[in-house]
Amino acid sequence: MAKGLSRQAKRDLVAYSFIAPNFIGFAVFTLVPIVFAFALAFLNWDGSNPITFAGLDNFKQLGGDIFFKAALKNTVIYCIGTVPLTMVASLALAIILNQKVIGRGVFRTLSFFPYVASLVAVTSVWKMLFHPSKGPVNNILHTVFQVPVDQLPQWFSGSLVLLSMILFSVWRFMGYYMVIYLAGLQGISAELYEAASLDGANTWQKFRYITWPQLHSTTFFVVVMLTINCFKVYDVAIMLAGGGSGELTTSSTVLVYYIYQKAFIDWKLGYSSAVAMVLFLMVFVVTMIQFRGQKKYQS
Amino acid sequence: MKSAKRKAALSKTLVYIILIIIAALMLIPFIWMLSASIKSDRQVFQMNPFVLIPDKPKWSNYHDIWVKIPLLKFVENTVFLTIIVTLLQLLTSSFAAYSFAKLDFKHKNTLFFAYIATIAMPWQVYMVPQFIMMRKFGLNDKLLAIICLQAFSAFGVFMMKQFYEGIPDELCEAARIDGMSEYRIYASIMLPLSKPSLATLTIFTFVNTWNDYLGPLIYLKSERKKTIQLGLKMFISQYSSDYGLIMAGSVLSLIPVLVVFLCLQKYFVEGVAATGLKG
Amino acid sequence: MKRKIMSVLLAAAMVTSMAGCSGSDGGAQTQAPADTPQQTQASNDAAPAETTAGDTSAEAPAETDAAPVTLKWAIWDKESTAYWQALADAYQKAAPNVTIEMVDLGSTDYMTVLATELSGEGSDFDVVTIKDVPGYATLVQKNAILSLDDYIKADGIDLGKYAGTTDQITVNGSLYELPFRNDFWVLFYNKDLFDEKGVAYPTNDMTFDDYDKLAREMTDTTFGSQIYGTHYHTWRSAVQLFSVLDGQHTILDGDYEFMKPYYELVLNQEADGVCRKYTDLKAEGLHYSAAFSGGDVAMLNMGSWFIATMISNLESGEYDADLCGNWGIVKYPHADGVEAGSTLGTITGLSVTAASDTPDEAWKFVKWVSGEEGAAVMAETGNFPAIMTDEAMNIITSLSGFPTDDASKEALNVSNLYLEVPYAENVSEINSALDSFHGSIMSGEMSIDEGIAAMNEAVQAVIGQ
Repeated sequence: MAKGLSRQAKRDLVAYSFIAPNFIGFAVFTLVPIVFAFALAFLNWDGSNPITFAGLDNFKQLGGDIFFKAALKNTVIYCIGTVPLTMVASLALAIILNQKVIGRGVFRTLSFFPYVASLVAVTSVWKMLFHPSKGPVNNILHTVFQVPVDQLPQWFSGSLVLLSMILFSVWRFMGYYMVIYLAGLQGISAELYEAASLDGANTWQKFRYITWPQLHSTTFFVVVMLTINCFKVYDVAIMLAGGGSGELTTSSTVLVYYIYQKAFIDWKLGYSSAVAMVLFLMVFVVTMIQFRGQKKYQS
Repeated sequence: MKSAKRKAALSKTLVYIILIIIAALMLIPFIWMLSASIKSDRQVFQMNPFVLIPDKPKWSNYHDIWVKIPLLKFVENTVFLTIIVTLLQLLTSSFAAYSFAKLDFKHKNTLFFAYIATIAMPWQVYMVPQFIMMRKFGLNDKLLAIICLQAFSAFGVFMMKQFYEGIPDELCEAARIDGMSEYRIYASIMLPLSKPSLATLTIFTFVNTWNDYLGPLIYLKSERKKTIQLGLKMFISQYSSDYGLIMAGSVLSLIPVLVVFLCLQKYFVEGVAATGLKG
Repeated sequence: MKRKIMSVLLAAAMVTSMAGCSGSDGGAQTQAPADTPQQTQASNDAAPAETTAGDTSAEAPAETDAAPVTLKWAIWDKESTAYWQALADAYQKAAPNVTIEMVDLGSTDYMTVLATELSGEGSDFDVVTIKDVPGYATLVQKNAILSLDDYIKADGIDLGKYAGTTDQITVNGSLYELPFRNDFWVLFYNKDLFDEKGVAYPTNDMTFDDYDKLAREMTDTTFGSQIYGTHYHTWRSAVQLFSVLDGQHTILDGDYEFMKPYYELVLNQEADGVCRKYTDLKAEGLHYSAAFSGGDVAMLNMGSWFIATMISNLESGEYDADLCGNWGIVKYPHADGVEAGSTLGTITGLSVTAASDTPDEAWKFVKWVSGEEGAAVMAETGNFPAIMTDEAMNIITSLSGFPTDDASKEALNVSNLYLEVPYAENVSEINSALDSFHGSIMSGEMSIDEGIAAMNEAVQAVIGQ
């Protein structure tokens, strides 16, 4: 018995030795800050002076903060636009590239380019292409479609800026999620399609009754990852819409930008953490809803 | 029969048309980037007529960019960070994942739950307290901070674990009976088998680290510590109208990621499929 | 349940420990400024009965034999700014025991970076340069920089030399920085463009109406050979600060109705092609220097720091002298009934950090740089010292490359100087709110009235906190 125990203990030790390098780093640099983040939301701190207890004050203040409300609204709109569009686009692309087409390897690689390319580089190209008065896009709108100069779209401000951010993100992330869908498609047995063909199913029916249900767990994964990624949007906004001193106006500000600004410019760490909690809550709720839906579907 | 054939041909054509449009959408920004990188500022926005390659390509852009900003230093920093982070990530994740997938031990579920629970937690939620902590450790403005930040992700462990679970347990059992230690089993059996998922994780980590902006923005303050992304952004705000130069810098910043991606992409779809990332 | 309680306890323990640390920090920091003057007093008191001769002999070795000190100094853009090195060199000559070690934190986000450097412990800066008032407010509130009051009193510094600017950065009766550079806004213009058009140059006494008329006269909207009558950089200051020149309003008011005429002025000009569009500038991030040196901008309102940039970049060939080599400056335009020469200032100052081990040595450096000696060095590099003596003025106007006409020299005589941003407790947040809605108005996201109403609401919410 004692010998058995010690063998078990030995095995535990070996197992822990495997886990330790990653877990220690993970615990110190992720778990501890997360706990701290929760605590900070209920405190007032400027990073230097003594901490004071704030209770729910930080959260109460959020309600009257026009910048927070704008950031929340924009982030939600951005997610609502980006998540379904990217999902549909990447699924369509995956289905096409899963067929036997010439050069499909090349196409797969190409569609992954925007994802691997550096954001600073591709946003600066986008800003040139969509430059309100000199860019080729507006140039074509003007010369080919006869849009008067003063009605040319202002892609990076006002009501269009969120649309620009959404289009850009779909373009950028499409290839990435396409690969995930492609992997999902390859897991569907060919026999299913053969059987359906024998039954005389058309392409749409095959998609509706085989592909879509079979891809359900993939879609779940894609939607959850997309939602998380969309809620934490920051760099796309700052690079496409950043103004004179890099600031975002109420039509383009997003939650993460506001977290950053409150923390590192205004040094209201508690308040910033309260905004972060809202961000977390949104992601959490959406993930939970997805999870529920997924479970219900499976049972 | 004939109509079916025709229909098939028609749908094939349609598919190719769609593909070409998509490929064009994907590529045009990059073609523009390349073209602009050898133009002078005045030529960049010239539309009538638009020329892809100007008569006298301004190759000097590719020289000047190294002189105007310490691009070499930025590249060095970024390469250093990316390589270290990727190696650490691969090593520690696959190590831990092996334990979670193939070994039995106390508190296994609790520990794994800690990883799972944080996967859905955006880094942005805890970046501020994390920064405060790192500063306390004296890691502010140190490249090491970015390494600590990026190298131990829950995602890597989760992904590798999913993959290892797909490898039959019998393989390990047989090796154990042969008297192999767990470390040997990991090194000589598991690692060689996990090429696709390692390649996938490499691409994810490499791309993420190479292109990260907010992390370096918060942690790396002095110019000599900056990464390519920060450096490019800095250059853009200083030399706003030197479009040619900006584009040359952008092209240069793409090359390393593209090389890594092209080298590893043949494993990529396989890797994503095998790691159960699809759900 | 147990686990839950544990984690709550853990969190609580962590927080209190951090609070404890920073609490003791805060204590140490507030003690430091109180201590140092006492110490110096104590050492003076220790030899009370000694003669003046004894005093000087006690001081003399302190100057020559003094232990070597290294002062770490936070600056930005070392390569492209001439005066950092010049100041450090000159001071090291004056105080041989001191070594100045400069640390370049870059100009983008300088104050943000500095604030992170100085919050909590672990910083080893002795002297830091203060770039703007919002950042200054942050550092003061963080107790990261020392109050200089005792030093100023002990050394008998006459704050009157700083032309009233120090009053606008005094926090609860205390001063935490001493300015060494004082830039003010003027109107730059391209003489060649005026000559080509046969239009008379701008003058040192223009109302906003005169200025608007002149800008419109200079404008040429012919495609391909466009000339912009004037140019506004994307900064809020470039537009909003027109409105505070009458001295009756400030940026901190909380009611910004008074800005309306100036937004109308600029937006009307934009609509008529008199200046580049804000949205274009934003999309390409066009720098004002690139705009002016491109030779298609007739006038530019900008800070006097641009004088040194123009001189050195024309000399080095970075700017094409055919396009912008023939330039001049005049005083800022002014509202009706306001004295010409009223303008806005931006001060750059030096502070001693609370974390410095050698605050006395750091103060000596600050005092020197902000004093007459430092002023001479600044002027020689084409920059405007905070103490504007006639001598410094002469040095600048006689620099080779400075416009030779009398109007340009006269333009440097400032009658009223208002700080772009005076000190207020929440100035950092007020600043962000104003920046944001400036962007909204200029990009057409909001009408002028909507934007101003939003500014009022946001700033009043901040002030009311």
